[in-house]
Amino acid sequence: MTAILRDLLRHNTEFRTGAVLVGIVLLLSAMASFSPYPPQDVFVVPPDVPPSLTYWFGTTSRGQDVFWQLSFAIRNTLLFGCTVALISRLLALVIGLLSGYRGGWIDRALMSVNDTFIVIPLLPILVLFYFVMRDRMSWLLLASIMACLGWAYDARLIRSVAMSLKAREFTQSSLFSGMSTREILVQEHLPYVMPIVFSTSMNNMVWSIGLEVTLAVLGFTDINTPTIGGMIYWANQHTAMVAGVWWWIAFPTIAVIMTFIGLFLLAVSMNDYIDPRSRLHSFGGAS
Amino acid sequence: MLAETTQGYLPDEALPILSVHDLQAHFRTDRFGVKRDVKAVDGISFAVRRGEIYGLAGESSSGKTTLIKTIAGAVRPPLEVVGGRVDFAFLPSYGGLHRAPAAEVARIRWRHLSYIMQGSMNVLNPLRRLWASFVDFAYPHIGGSRKQFEQEVVAHLARLRLDPSVLAAYPHELSGGMRQRATIALATICRPDLILADEPTNALDVVVQKEVLGMISGIQREIGSSVLLVTHDLGVHAHVTGRLGIMYAGRLIEEAATAEIFRNPLHPYTRHLISSLPRIGDDVPRQGLEGAPPNLADPPPGCRFHPRCPLAMEICRCQVPATLETAPAHRVACFAVNRSAQP
Amino acid sequence: MADLGQPIMPVRTSWTGILGTPVSGYLAYVGRRLAQFVLVVFIGINLTYVITHASPIDPVEQSISVVTSFGNTAPDAIEQMRTALRDLYGLGGSPIEQYLAFWKRILRADFGPSMSAFPTPVTTLIGRALPWTAGLLAVSTIVAWGLGSLLGGLAGYYQKSRGLKLMGVIAMVLHPIPYYILALVLMIVFGFLWPVLPITGGSAMNLPQTLTFDFVTSVLQHAILPALSLILIGVGSWFLGMRSLVSNLVNEDFVVYAELAGVRPWRVLSFYVMRNALAPQLTGLAISLGGIFNGAVVTEKVFGYPGVGSLLVDAVYAGDYGLVLGVTTVSILGVSVGVLVIDLLYPLLDPRVKVS
Repeated sequence: MTAILRDLLRHNTEFRTGAVLVGIVLLLSAMASFSPYPPQDVFVVPPDVPPSLTYWFGTTSRGQDVFWQLSFAIRNTLLFGCTVALISRLLALVIGLLSGYRGGWIDRALMSVNDTFIVIPLLPILVLFYFVMRDRMSWLLLASIMACLGWAYDARLIRSVAMSLKAREFTQSSLFSGMSTREILVQEHLPYVMPIVFSTSMNNMVWSIGLEVTLAVLGFTDINTPTIGGMIYWANQHTAMVAGVWWWIAFPTIAVIMTFIGLFLLAVSMNDYIDPRSRLHSFGGAS
Repeated sequence: MLAETTQGYLPDEALPILSVHDLQAHFRTDRFGVKRDVKAVDGISFAVRRGEIYGLAGESSSGKTTLIKTIAGAVRPPLEVVGGRVDFAFLPSYGGLHRAPAAEVARIRWRHLSYIMQGSMNVLNPLRRLWASFVDFAYPHIGGSRKQFEQEVVAHLARLRLDPSVLAAYPHELSGGMRQRATIALATICRPDLILADEPTNALDVVVQKEVLGMISGIQREIGSSVLLVTHDLGVHAHVTGRLGIMYAGRLIEEAATAEIFRNPLHPYTRHLISSLPRIGDDVPRQGLEGAPPNLADPPPGCRFHPRCPLAMEICRCQVPATLETAPAHRVACFAVNRSAQP
Repeated sequence: MADLGQPIMPVRTSWTGILGTPVSGYLAYVGRRLAQFVLVVFIGINLTYVITHASPIDPVEQSISVVTSFGNTAPDAIEQMRTALRDLYGLGGSPIEQYLAFWKRILRADFGPSMSAFPTPVTTLIGRALPWTAGLLAVSTIVAWGLGSLLGGLAGYYQKSRGLKLMGVIAMVLHPIPYYILALVLMIVFGFLWPVLPITGGSAMNLPQTLTFDFVTSVLQHAILPALSLILIGVGSWFLGMRSLVSNLVNEDFVVYAELAGVRPWRVLSFYVMRNALAPQLTGLAISLGGIFNGAVVTEKVFGYPGVGSLLVDAVYAGDYGLVLGVTTVSILGVSVGVLVIDLLYPLLDPRVKVS
């Protein structure tokens, strides 16, 4: 695995760029441990101070240091994305593998439900959730809900991998040589499924963080735990743009854009590396 | 017989339709810091005469398909032509289709040189009816009014015993045999001078195979084309080809009339191939050849067959044997057979 | 030699229906798609029911309290709200009765009066907002998909072109950005830095909503920024998708064969490459419709565009349960219809579908 990462880092510009961007973001989130101010406190510093040497990213209208606030926000946002990705991986794996291996009516039934969750627009559903839950909506709850709604696309991918693996010759020979189903799944098939799981995790994180940011800026999440979306929400509440406190909006926005582009580039370059057809394409194609 | 197939050309009858001279084509890759140079075609020379069916035989990874692709001009990275020439009677200069200007290539393709590709499963556009393929491929060369063209297509299809209704079908609606016959019809309708056929009967069952081969030789006789037929199946070669060339690891190691190859194979590899063919009434146990075909990214020095050859000598390890005429119209590349096969 | 060469007709596809009469493959396909559509809507609406009933608190009282906190509301108005809400929420009777009452209302498209704009019925409000959203979505989706697919297809075929490679980099930057962020950036740029375009509203406030030239121009002017926000990200995504499809397609046997046969490059590009990439690209559109709708919701809020998105967000702020439920239901329905339409178009693009 480290050899793959080293290769990608050395030869693939997209991976390098993505790694740099994500690295900066991770660094920022790690800094949160050194923050002199607890994240929930307000009016700990003079409000509305532009970026300067004392306050690198300036301060907000609520009297918080933008830099330290942002570090907590990024950490929470990333944690959120990882949680959703983890839980939805489990769901996608279970459903995808079950559907792909069993086939028959189980497959048809699961896939019909699967396609339903792909089609349904999730934002209104999440908004409805918030409407009903209001202040009881913690970020963990939101993460669980999003995981329960966001497994569909990846389940299909895993299912098609499972279907092709089932039909492959080495599966038959493993069966005939007396390996149990569980052994086959873990020893023979998992190495094929894991790369898909890794690359879809990145995409899933992009999706879940995107949705969370969207909900947060609208104020539809737990706005007391600092997240990137939450910062923008508060900035809007205090009409930061009009008041001229541009740094309150600008830095979280830049951080978000960096995070997304970075994660996306990582996912794309890892996908390219795994897919043998794309390797041939890198040598040139038509015309 | 040939004047009508060669518009604008009145070449010498003795001039071969295809002449390949010391062709070298390699796959060059450089990915993640690893450079590889696969010498798929490494110095091949032969010629195909007018009106003959010339066969190329060899196992997979012998370079046959790469050779065909290079001759057809399908040279795309990572494939590169490193040396040598490919000359046609209808395109004498340039040294190969990959070097010719686009206008010349457009003139040549399909009208003088056509291609029957390996695996007819996927060579036709799945979203277009067969008629559209004929219009795309052949109409620019044949011209005339649509009605006339349609009549010509129907007449040609009849030669391959295809009903005109196939024109309205999509490829997936035709059976494998029908698809292959349609592809042959497509490749021959412009009456090209040279047809390159790469494993034309690969995925077909034996009965349909025999039919298709019969059609290829029948059409070839009728329109007077030459055919370069590439397949690993020696039975197919025995059935239709007039001359046969044996390839091994990117090199041409033997070439003679087909009957001569079967009767009197000279190269150790060819002898092994011929002796391994089953014959009715002959129940001598077959012996396998040790080892495996070489890795073309790092081939053995000298003669590429020497690690597996029962007649290998010291010189075989150091020098590459040239393909020389050892018996009348019979070329071999082997030091054991031809002591004077110096490069 | 056996004469196997005389085909009768090529294989025709047919499907025998329940009644034993032959029905063409397409009708069977339509049936399957309709069934899926019904399933999606059914599960979606049930999901909303489950969510609303999973809450431990009484949403009726909560709604009432939020609404009445805004100011003075007459007591009998409050009672009307309470009854309407209870009815909609289905708080009377056993769970089964509640469920059935809920569904009865849904099927009648009766979401009761809007709390925030009492007593205007919810359906009226949605009816007013829907054309705005539909127009915005339709235009931006079609433009983004069409333009993105065209450029992406060219980029996948002409891989050496520097201009197209540059476009690829831009697409990579645009595609992952969340809709809200881009809308925000556009609003900042055109609202504060270079204020040439209106950043709020669907049309100028003083114009009557009739089809006059002034009104239409104003509508178009106000639609530019929201549409641009959706289109930019859309073009990025469709560009990347199409480029990847085409890059794989150019190595397919039938494309290589056509090129070897001397078919002109533009013909190969149009009929062998782009045409064959259309069907999967259309499927991609169907899959993304939900996400695009989400984007539209947020974009509307940023630019104050009077569509169902703004309606939804404002309804949440106002505690207007009926309106939230109504918009959610309409969203599910709308997106499902969009997907159904695309699904029905699919066999026209790919004749192989009828066979399965």
